[in-house]
Amino acid sequence: MSVSHLIEQVDDYRWRIPRVNGTGMLTDVRVYASRDILEKVVTDRSLDQAANVACLPGIVGSSLAMPDIHQGYGFPIGGVAAVDCASGVVSPGGVGFDINCGVRLLGSSLCRDEVRTRLKDLINQIFRDVPCGTGGTGYIKISRKELDDVLVDGARWMVRHGYGESNDWEYAEARGALLGADPDKVSPRAKDRGRPQIGTLGSGNHFLEIQYVQRVDDEEAAKTFGLYQGQVVVLIHSGSRGLGHQVCTDFLRDMGPAMRKYGIELPDRQLACVPVTSSEGQSYLAAMRGAANFAWANRQGMTHFVRQAFRRIFGNAVHLKVIYDVCHNIAKQERYEVAGKTQDVLVHRKGATRAFPPGHPEVTPSYQQVGQPVFIPGSMGTASWVLAGRSGSVDETFGTCCHGAGRLLSRTAAKKGRDLKRVIKDLEREGILIRSDSKRGILEEVPEAYKDVDEVIEVVHKAGLAKKVARLRPMGVIKG
Amino acid sequence: MNEYEILEHTADIGFRAWAPSPGELFRNAARAMMAIATEPETLSGLEERELETRGVDYPDLMVNWLSEVLYLFDTNQFAARDFRVDDIAADRLRATLIGEPREPERHPWELIIKAVTYHQLKVEQQNSRWKAEVFLDI
Repeated sequence: MSVSHLIEQVDDYRWRIPRVNGTGMLTDVRVYASRDILEKVVTDRSLDQAANVACLPGIVGSSLAMPDIHQGYGFPIGGVAAVDCASGVVSPGGVGFDINCGVRLLGSSLCRDEVRTRLKDLINQIFRDVPCGTGGTGYIKISRKELDDVLVDGARWMVRHGYGESNDWEYAEARGALLGADPDKVSPRAKDRGRPQIGTLGSGNHFLEIQYVQRVDDEEAAKTFGLYQGQVVVLIHSGSRGLGHQVCTDFLRDMGPAMRKYGIELPDRQLACVPVTSSEGQSYLAAMRGAANFAWANRQGMTHFVRQAFRRIFGNAVHLKVIYDVCHNIAKQERYEVAGKTQDVLVHRKGATRAFPPGHPEVTPSYQQVGQPVFIPGSMGTASWVLAGRSGSVDETFGTCCHGAGRLLSRTAAKKGRDLKRVIKDLEREGILIRSDSKRGILEEVPEAYKDVDEVIEVVHKAGLAKKVARLRPMGVIKG
Repeated sequence: MNEYEILEHTADIGFRAWAPSPGELFRNAARAMMAIATEPETLSGLEERELETRGVDYPDLMVNWLSEVLYLFDTNQFAARDFRVDDIAADRLRATLIGEPREPERHPWELIIKAVTYHQLKVEQQNSRWKAEVFLDI
């Protein structure tokens, strides 16, 4: 359905598309955007997709669109939908192919000037130690039995087996492992694809950046997270690799026929869904949690290799602390007050990040005063942000804010008229070194292909979903 | 006329394929996907491998068929350069893959395809021609 012409302005940062009778929409669409961002959003089909999401049986509240929204498969990327756990549906497309694609931030004990003189050595070392791109096979060898344990224990398994430091996993959403994962629900094919890939970056928009804290916007929160101006940090953006993709593929295949059984009809097959309480729905959730745990283990494995690389260049005294680890492709059971009553909902976050406010019981104890850290990677060579969750997220968006800058150009359009050497030189002029196996990948991910991350952040900050804590600038980029 | 063309999508890539019959359409679709994923001319056609798959209808069958070919490539089991559809109905397909076991160093990804999607998926007959449109997650 086409709905862009129905947009109504609510205030400077909120817009609404009312429910349209006869379209199957069960609720309205709420969009978080500035006028400038909205003008870009309506150039693709993402708001039509958000209207399709409003057709999901059991949806609670509005179908939500974050300011980084862009067109995805079925669900828009930057879309959020909460469904009632008792009467609603779970949709693998609402989680996405890359289950628990997410971001981890490591804070180093080094400052920018210390790293700048050895940057080339450091980026080369990390590029050697963290497999990425088309190779994609990792150094961590695990048996089938061990993989099953990883699917249950996530980052904790990795720390226990020497790929981390004692409390790393405590600084992660769900403490690095969701409860309720069942390895038996993850197909042998998904395991075949994932087993050699643990501790690897992957391809597409995944990357690993050495960055420095360019500016601190909130001293108290930054201090609480262990961040300070000039500090060197490492941001890892990666997910569950082939394992997560195969889980999504497997369940999309099985849900088509199952939807008929449950009498569910939807405008887009990629939205395939089944009741949360059905055996198919419960199996998917158990497999999805396993894939999510695999992704946390994967980022934990890369953390280990990044630490090794830093120590090799700067000596054993250098320290890298896990600041936090957030996921932005997931479905999670959470509890909210909706229209005055407490309700258990399954929140689908498809390219959207949990942003719990201060005092929320699921926020890591040492961050309770300032709220959950949220990391928003910008495009290659621009900037990334550290935010902290605010109460507006719980009041309005099921504890959620944006996840990135949001793509603007297709890959072909991004490459058009651009020369690889020129792109690399332009980055070097700004003091940014880049390493990648994929020339094509560098061109496809040029900053111009994305919206301005600062504009996106301004919206979630002004709307009260999360607050600005620090702005990060890249020094070295490894592009998957 | 070409057997397929590459399509664009903000974040991703897809293809449109044509053929006079469903069997040839499924062959052309798999050729299109492998032309995106790798350089088929680097693959030999020395070995064959049989593959059977099912679906609830032609579009579903298409996703399952391409997902199988992708899985075999991604797990280094088989790198197919060509395809022969031996038997096809709307809910099942039996085919022969022509290629060789994949060696990642010799057969790298040209573009890593992570999954085959149902997004804007089309497999349909138009007059005497069959047409498919498929988007791939990369």
